[in-house]
Amino acid sequence: MSFDLAAVAALYRNEMRHLLRDRRTIVVSIFLPLAVMPIMLFSSHWLEQRRKARLETTTFAVAIDGSQAEMVRSLLVQAQRLRTARGEAFRFRETPVAEPLAALGEKRVALVLRGVTAAEARAAAGEEAARRELEADRRGEGGEEEEREAVLEGVPVVEVLFRADRDDSQAAATAMGEVLREVRSEGRFALLRSAGFPRDPATVLPVTRDNVATTGQVAGLALGRLVTALLLLFMLSGGAVVAIDSLAGEKERGTLETLLTSGARRQDIVAAKLLAIFSVALLIALIQVANLLIYVGFELIPVPAGFAAAVPPPVAVLLFFLYLPVTALVAAGLLLLSGYAKSYKEAQLNFFPVFLLGLLPALAPLLPGVSLRSAVVVVPIANAAVAAKEILVGVFDWPLLLVSWVVNAAAALLLARLATRALSNERLASPLAAEGERVPGPVAFQRQVLRNFAVLWGVLLVVNSNLPASTDIRLQLLVNLGVIFLGGTLAMVRIYHLEPAQVFALRPVPPAVWLAVAVGAPAGLLTGVGVFQLASLFVPVPREMLEALGEALLPEGLPFWQVVVFLCLAPGIVEELTFRGALLHGLRRRFHPVVLALVVGVVFGVFHTSLFRIAPTAFIGVLLAGVTLLSGSIFPAMVWHALNNLLGLAAARAGLPLESLEPPLLAAAAMALAAAFWILWRTRSVYPDLRGERRR
Amino acid sequence: MSQPVVVQGLTKVFFDDARGEIRAVDGVDFSCQAGEIFGLLGANGAGKTTTLRMIATVLAPTAGTALVMGHDVQREAEQARRALGFYSATTALYPRLTARETLEFFARINGVPAAAVRARVDELVARFDLGEYADTRVDKLSTGMKQKVSIARTLAHDPPVLVFDEPTVGLDVLNALEMQRTIRQLRDEGKAILFSTHIMSEAERLCDRIAIIHRGRIHACDTLAALREATGQHYLEDIFVYHVERAEEQGEAGL
Repeated sequence: MSFDLAAVAALYRNEMRHLLRDRRTIVVSIFLPLAVMPIMLFSSHWLEQRRKARLETTTFAVAIDGSQAEMVRSLLVQAQRLRTARGEAFRFRETPVAEPLAALGEKRVALVLRGVTAAEARAAAGEEAARRELEADRRGEGGEEEEREAVLEGVPVVEVLFRADRDDSQAAATAMGEVLREVRSEGRFALLRSAGFPRDPATVLPVTRDNVATTGQVAGLALGRLVTALLLLFMLSGGAVVAIDSLAGEKERGTLETLLTSGARRQDIVAAKLLAIFSVALLIALIQVANLLIYVGFELIPVPAGFAAAVPPPVAVLLFFLYLPVTALVAAGLLLLSGYAKSYKEAQLNFFPVFLLGLLPALAPLLPGVSLRSAVVVVPIANAAVAAKEILVGVFDWPLLLVSWVVNAAAALLLARLATRALSNERLASPLAAEGERVPGPVAFQRQVLRNFAVLWGVLLVVNSNLPASTDIRLQLLVNLGVIFLGGTLAMVRIYHLEPAQVFALRPVPPAVWLAVAVGAPAGLLTGVGVFQLASLFVPVPREMLEALGEALLPEGLPFWQVVVFLCLAPGIVEELTFRGALLHGLRRRFHPVVLALVVGVVFGVFHTSLFRIAPTAFIGVLLAGVTLLSGSIFPAMVWHALNNLLGLAAARAGLPLESLEPPLLAAAAMALAAAFWILWRTRSVYPDLRGERRR
Repeated sequence: MSQPVVVQGLTKVFFDDARGEIRAVDGVDFSCQAGEIFGLLGANGAGKTTTLRMIATVLAPTAGTALVMGHDVQREAEQARRALGFYSATTALYPRLTARETLEFFARINGVPAAAVRARVDELVARFDLGEYADTRVDKLSTGMKQKVSIARTLAHDPPVLVFDEPTVGLDVLNALEMQRTIRQLRDEGKAILFSTHIMSEAERLCDRIAIIHRGRIHACDTLAALREATGQHYLEDIFVYHVERAEEQGEAGL
């Protein structure tokens, strides 16, 4: 694809000029986030600090009850003594209350400490368990589980009751837990000493922890996990304002039609718009980052220690290059979104899901243990996010970085191409005043052909599952071929006013084609067997599938001429009219010829509703579609199809097991098939009006 | 040299999921010469706009061909577009550009060489008397001025073929007359002009040849004098009704 650089430059300049003169856009997309983001971060940090500070200085009111309340009080006295000895504050004060639990509920106390005997504790635990079960049944969930240690007979238990729905109560419970553990350790050590333990028990089995990562690496991990999501947030929100205005807005204003009727090429228009969104998204992301750094520099926003060390200038440059294709991808995605929207409003509506979809892969580094040396490297955005984390931690692979760069760039190109197509798509590009006469005709047929075949398939399924198993095979075939296939096909020709000679490709063929058919039909049959034998080396292919190739449903007691008529000629004619006739004709402009042959084959296979016959018939169906496409006529496919069935049946009747033929014979068959297609290629008179003859 | 616009068997079939297939234009043939105003006269929904949009390459024909200065609108869409200027009531201007910037922009993207852009814009500004307003943003201009800028935009690259799709829709009498005057001048300068309208008087006054289009088909195509002679009617309105009624009769007869 080539670009007219002068035109792209003019279009880009126009795009930017138009944007910069839109004050509302500038305010919303640049100044607002610029101010809002740090304010948000700063205020949330400030609030958190205040909350912490308040909790750290509060003295918590505690209620004490239970049969062992005195024991609890003495524990608290010990604890206070320990803390005071270390010069630390003890922040609990007993508040006498009549009903401790009610007091906790009314926020008069932050905690209730209940001293109970072992027996009481066990009974209470049993009751609690029963209550919880009941409650969980009612709500379908469980409450927060408290720590509960094993209870030893004869030893009193301290229960700490708190409310997790209150900040102060939760903080008090945590602090109280620490205090009580200290007292408990001290008590244990005292017991050990009095029993004659020779050393200070506190020195037994000391455990130390050492972090050998640099502070830069630690900060890098913290930063790396979120940096991509954050940047993407900036790019998406900044780019969207331009993108939505760019195509959807132009549609709404009516300027898109002016542009599309000018001499500018579609690819130049898309390139310029893409460049505009790209530069704005990048600029906004950079401004936001700079903005954040300024705030960080003034210590208005807290960052982990070593933050500066995590992003030395070379790393920053590397990250910049890493994010370039990501920005392009974001720009192309947004442009596509805008291109497929019919109005500004529709584009805005579609933005939210795209926004979430774009952010989701950016969260990949939050997955535990994820590394770029995995399938992640081919997932756009996610790969850059993981790469960014690895770069910031300082452990990364250059080749994998390169792969992820290329993947993102390729994804961006793909989306840009789709956006170009959206501009060429008249339904999207211009408001249609589609008025005129309404007639079901060939164009409607092309659009509805698959839907019609789905209906046909449904009818086939319903009818066949309701036919008694004992039904004469001739009647079955009459219903399937005569009524459903032929009837359905002729109905389509009539309803859509189609030209039978064209739909059914009723065209004469040169004599050489018949030679190809004579060679190809038996060769195709055997090649099919070979292909499935080969496939069975890799994936298990059921034997029934191989047998199905030989049309093994050989009906008992049918005279041979009837076998030929009902199982060879009739399917050869009717199924070809339906599938290589109507279906292929209807789909001819929708797919590339190769894909077309595959689709026609697969649909043909799916119509053979028995599971094991789908793949083998699809194989034959692809061959028959190929024959029709190359010869431009349906007659060779009809003869090939009838011959294929005849040979399969003959082999089955003669007791010749096709499925156990030797590989050399099958290889020879494949070569013969190739020769048949070579003849068809040399004498080809290609099916008319295929997609390959592109219109634009 | 062949004619600037040659249209043969041009057909457009739309498909709408709710309404099914719609044959908006059905095998239309015509041509337009340099220095001629060729009018497509038809009621709303007759297929005029669809025909002109196919010529402007915004819509792809379902069948048939259209050549603009010898360029096929499908195979050489870009060259065809560069040879024509398209004006319609729905082709808007960029509101935040000034008149001069608008002309510059369209000259550039239509392939006017960079060195020639300025002179061309000055020429257009002078021709359409835009001088005073050349540096005013389009959204601040009056309807009449916008219309002038719009026509000047269509001419930015001096194309040999001009397409005016119902250009007077929504204009007051004076502006509509001004538009007609401009179109006539352009014809006199040798442009090939395709002009669509549903207003009989406009077609009568302006067009050198008139094609009467109804339900996507052209039912008559000739000079006004010849149309009068063929139908025995004097007024274009009567001529139009005569052809439409005959078309309806033929349609009912299943022809």
